[in-house]
Amino acid sequence: MTDTVTPPPLLQMEGIEKSYGGVRALRDGRLIIQQPGTVHGLIGENGSGKSTILGILSGQIRPDGGALLVEGRPVSFSSPVDALRTGIAMVSQETALAPLLSVTENILLGRRLVRGRTGIDWRRSHQRAKLVLDRLGLTYDPRAPIGSLRPDQRQMVEIARALSLDSRVLILDEPTSSLSEDEVASIFQVIRNLSSAGVSTILVTHRLSELFEICDEITVLRDGRTVASGAAASFNPESLVSAMVGDTAAQKRVKRERIAIPAAARDSAPVLTALNVSSEPDLHNVELSLRPGEIVGLAGLVGAGRSDLLEAIFGARPRTGDVLIENVTLAPGRPSAAIRRGIGYVPPDRKTQGVVLGMSVVDNAMMVASSDRFRLRPPGTRRDVQAVSAIGSSISIRTHDLGVAVSTLSGGNQQKVALSKWLIDPPRVLLLDEPTRGVDVAAKAEIHQILVDLADRGVALLVSSSENDELLNICDRIVVMLRGRVVATVARVDADEAKLSRLSGGHLDD
Amino acid sequence: MTTEHFSQPSIWARTWKGSRPFRPVFVVLVVVFVVLAIAQPVFASAQNLQNLLTSISVLWIVAMGMTLVLITAGADLSVAPIGALAGILLAKLLQAGIPAWLAIIISLVGGAALGGLVNGTLIGRFNVSFFVVTLGTLTAFTGIVNLWSNTESIPVNEPVILNLAVTRFLGLSGPVWIMIIIFVVTLFIQQRTFFGRDVYAVGGSISAARLSGIRVPRTIILVYAFSGLCAAIAGIVAISRIGVASPQVDANLPLQAIAAVLLGGTALSGGTGGVVGTAFGVLFIGVLSNGLSIAGVPSFWQQIVTGVILVVAVLADRIGLRRRTKSTTETSGTQPPESITAPEELAAKTSH
Ligand SMILES: Nc1ncnc2c1ncn2[C@@H]1O[C@H](COP(=O)(O)OP(=O)(O)OP(=O)(O)O)[C@@H](O)[C@H]1O
Ligand SMILES: [Mg+2]
Repeated sequence: MTDTVTPPPLLQMEGIEKSYGGVRALRDGRLIIQQPGTVHGLIGENGSGKSTILGILSGQIRPDGGALLVEGRPVSFSSPVDALRTGIAMVSQETALAPLLSVTENILLGRRLVRGRTGIDWRRSHQRAKLVLDRLGLTYDPRAPIGSLRPDQRQMVEIARALSLDSRVLILDEPTSSLSEDEVASIFQVIRNLSSAGVSTILVTHRLSELFEICDEITVLRDGRTVASGAAASFNPESLVSAMVGDTAAQKRVKRERIAIPAAARDSAPVLTALNVSSEPDLHNVELSLRPGEIVGLAGLVGAGRSDLLEAIFGARPRTGDVLIENVTLAPGRPSAAIRRGIGYVPPDRKTQGVVLGMSVVDNAMMVASSDRFRLRPPGTRRDVQAVSAIGSSISIRTHDLGVAVSTLSGGNQQKVALSKWLIDPPRVLLLDEPTRGVDVAAKAEIHQILVDLADRGVALLVSSSENDELLNICDRIVVMLRGRVVATVARVDADEAKLSRLSGGHLDD
Repeated sequence: MTTEHFSQPSIWARTWKGSRPFRPVFVVLVVVFVVLAIAQPVFASAQNLQNLLTSISVLWIVAMGMTLVLITAGADLSVAPIGALAGILLAKLLQAGIPAWLAIIISLVGGAALGGLVNGTLIGRFNVSFFVVTLGTLTAFTGIVNLWSNTESIPVNEPVILNLAVTRFLGLSGPVWIMIIIFVVTLFIQQRTFFGRDVYAVGGSISAARLSGIRVPRTIILVYAFSGLCAAIAGIVAISRIGVASPQVDANLPLQAIAAVLLGGTALSGGTGGVVGTAFGVLFIGVLSNGLSIAGVPSFWQQIVTGVILVVAVLADRIGLRRRTKSTTETSGTQPPESITAPEELAAKTSH
């Protein structure tokens, strides 16, 4: 026990097990971080146990078995407080900020507000929060309520809060799933800075390119087991995917690109036309039309008005201007009217808008298809369950039982439930806001395939995404938005990622 | 790997899982019942149990309607004056010589209209807070009751109504049969209709419901109409028991009903719970008050005990949920937001 050549790893999790009733979320989870300052990527299919193992590491979930060692010493956390004392802080997959409180209050939650002689010293509290924000190069007003920030900004505030706890290991569970390239780049810059300051980061993401861009080491989970781990350089995209899905399954899943615009889309009259649609102060005079069978993408930075446009068309936010469905105007402000006219909408925030967490998978999935049925008819009939079950298999909703509450599903699987309600009885026009947010690579390809199939059957799709490669993969035409306006429309054949980023950033001259 | 086959758990498994919210009150109810039956043999006599059930009939009926209201994350404070108004309307109609069946229907429709068109419309269509609306209508309707009745009881001589309380069928009195019918109807609505699903969806996430095409205002209006209907039925049952339409508005009734619903495991935050739990909650309140009065314990004690048990039951559920979401093996329904934020708050506090 004298001069050991290799010091014990900073962090070591071995043989971690965790079950929920009959569901084995983790069977043999292993995660090792050798040195301070490494960036560790964690990847796996939806429901493979990533959030669970990280929840255990950060003291939020208690494991059924396995060992956790920090610098070679066994530890057991009974609460997040214990983990924080050891220097482990986590930003969860779903945001946990208090929307009405200010940025300062969220960062310094609870007792860490600066106290003066007569209660809280707000001036100094704001200063302290500002310091934390400055560290990340953020310029938000510490006084602003969190609810007034965009999702990506809230994400940054969460990271700021985790950092302000002086942690040695920062856990980020899918921080980038709703961010576009620029925002991702700024988060990565922060991670690199931390890394050189000796803080390790564990990062969950479903975007392979991000893993290779920033990670030093990668761990792959499959069905609750760690099936591969090692230096990032020892993997390539193919080997990662086959580790994630298992070798046999990998062969089945071929990414199919859209070959040609269906004939129907070229010739027929538009099914949806937006005329001069505005919704102050976020959306100005948008003109747009969709033909049956066409997939149109909406590109742009977060906050460019993509989400606002979809909400305005669907009636989820007030608007001026006209939306025509086959030349008949659609009443504004009433989603139920829009649905009856054949419009569907997949909202960006699954937890509060996409699903009702306390209700079962079947009830959620049937919500739209049953919305115009007679209200005294029985739900959950055998036929309905079969319909949901068929859709559930086709997009791999991973649960052993469709009767469980959606809250018990993993994040990506909840997203699939939010999507599934529009697939049971497809509408004529489907508006999608970040349809594959938080969905694993394999399932993402399946969802893309399903969208293309819908288009082939004559459904018009308007897809907003912060991932340009997603748009380039499935769209016939891409509309670029900037500050609430449409600034360009490019055919897929003329578009590439570089061009889309240039246009999104406001370089319109080419 | 995809999950090609989804299993369907047995009805027993689902029932057991579904019973989680009201297991505490059920256990306490059984214990209290057994203890009382042993200590006071009179308590378990058929005659006394009959009286017990009849005595809780008004609370029971109101609580059934209240359950659906609470599932939508609301509450109806105006049930007592709605019941009184329906009773006075009935008495006046009978005085005017209208046939009993028609008078009953009119006053029931009146109760539903007050609940739906006034409370429901303001809450569902104009998005005013349920608390403000029903507190306002509680006050305003009480005023109307006093104005209209001149604060005097109106006698009712109609045999159809008076017989309701005394006639027995299969050994059970009229009010008890009405309790059973209302319970079954509400349970049916809750479990076996799309409307019931809408109620849960609206309470679980109003924006998800709206974006999925559920007609949220209509759902809310109907729920408050149903609560008004239950209140009117309770008002008529009350008349049958005392023989007059009384201008007394029992200010405690909505609070007791809400307490019973909460005891039965429905949460104020909406989206969970149901009438089976409420039935146990009402039974618990009834057993306690009946048993303690037989034992000669002053009724104030009963209030203290009910209050304490209510808080303890809700607290126990919270703590249980929190522990579950952190560690154990159960797949429970919704997670309260507390369980997500609380640890972080703690964390923030400790790391100065
Ligand atoms: N409270 C719970 N009750 C029951 N099952 C649960 C619960 N929490 C998680 N699970 C199950 O555990 C498994 C692992 O979930 P986990 O959230 O760790 O997945 P994940 O890898 O983070 O997936 P995603 O990429 O979708 O976020 C899933 O099958 C999920 O349904
Ligand atoms: Mg997860």
